[in-house]
Amino acid sequence: MIKKRGKKGTILVENVIFIILNVIFLMILILFIYRQGNGAVVLEQSYAKNIALLIDAGKPIMEMKLNMEDAMALAEKNGVNREEIVKITGNLVTVKLSEKGGYSYSFFKNVDVTTYPDVPTEKNYVIKINGYK
Amino acid sequence: MLIKNKRGDKILSLYWFAILIIIAGGIFAMVYVYYGFPYDVRDIENRLLINAVADCVSYTGRINQEIISSGEFYQNASLDKCNLIFTSPEWEEEQYYVKVDFYRINDLNNSLRTLTKGNLNWAPQCEIQKEKESKNLVQCSTKAFYSLDDKDNQYIIKILGIVRKSEKNVRT
Repeated sequence: MIKKRGKKGTILVENVIFIILNVIFLMILILFIYRQGNGAVVLEQSYAKNIALLIDAGKPIMEMKLNMEDAMALAEKNGVNREEIVKITGNLVTVKLSEKGGYSYSFFKNVDVTTYPDVPTEKNYVIKINGYK
Repeated sequence: MLIKNKRGDKILSLYWFAILIIIAGGIFAMVYVYYGFPYDVRDIENRLLINAVADCVSYTGRINQEIISSGEFYQNASLDKCNLIFTSPEWEEEQYYVKVDFYRINDLNNSLRTLTKGNLNWAPQCEIQKEKESKNLVQCSTKAFYSLDDKDNQYIIKILGIVRKSEKNVRT
């Protein structure tokens, strides 16, 4: 009888530990997948290509607003100023969301473009095509 | 009996952890591979390029009068006034090529005039891909449409667009 009681106790503790470890394991996996999908490297590439394609599709005097809420939050977390997130040099778009990072992609339209964060909403970025060069 | 059971439980736990580690390894590998591949946007980029060239050579159904007038093609007609820039600081060579062919509507075999812009070196890679598509090579697309000149002569305009940029769009 004493042995049986002891065994039941051991099984319960083992099972509880096993379940807790499983839950921790699953949480780590989910966190890893979430962080991979929202990491600076992925977002930088995605937004740089997105902006380059928007410029290629646009025409002079167009003003486009791109929701970059997630990118702005990440940039703020990594100590990058909102004004420095998107830079356009010649026909090259560079998106920077971390101090050491940055991704560039070129567009083929020979246009003059200015970009700046939208002040009232604080989540959009404005891409303004001023005209052909 | 008791000792045997305990050993069995331990083995079972180890077995479960081994399975969990294998599954975790698999998921880590899959996620790493998935996010490690760059987004391939060349298809969209090529379509935008062809549209830009189409707007340049023919707008609202009429061929640009700097290319053709009274049924005669200008000798100095080119795509240079299409506001396209194919050079970039990130690439040593131009990564685009565009070819525009003008055909009479009743003769689609003989091109009346061909206009090109960009790096001609990428063109043969489209021929290679007619047999087997390879993402490591260039991305090729063709578009054809109908247009009129100022004398209402009818033409078919075929545009071939090529975008390379393989290193930025494909894991090489």
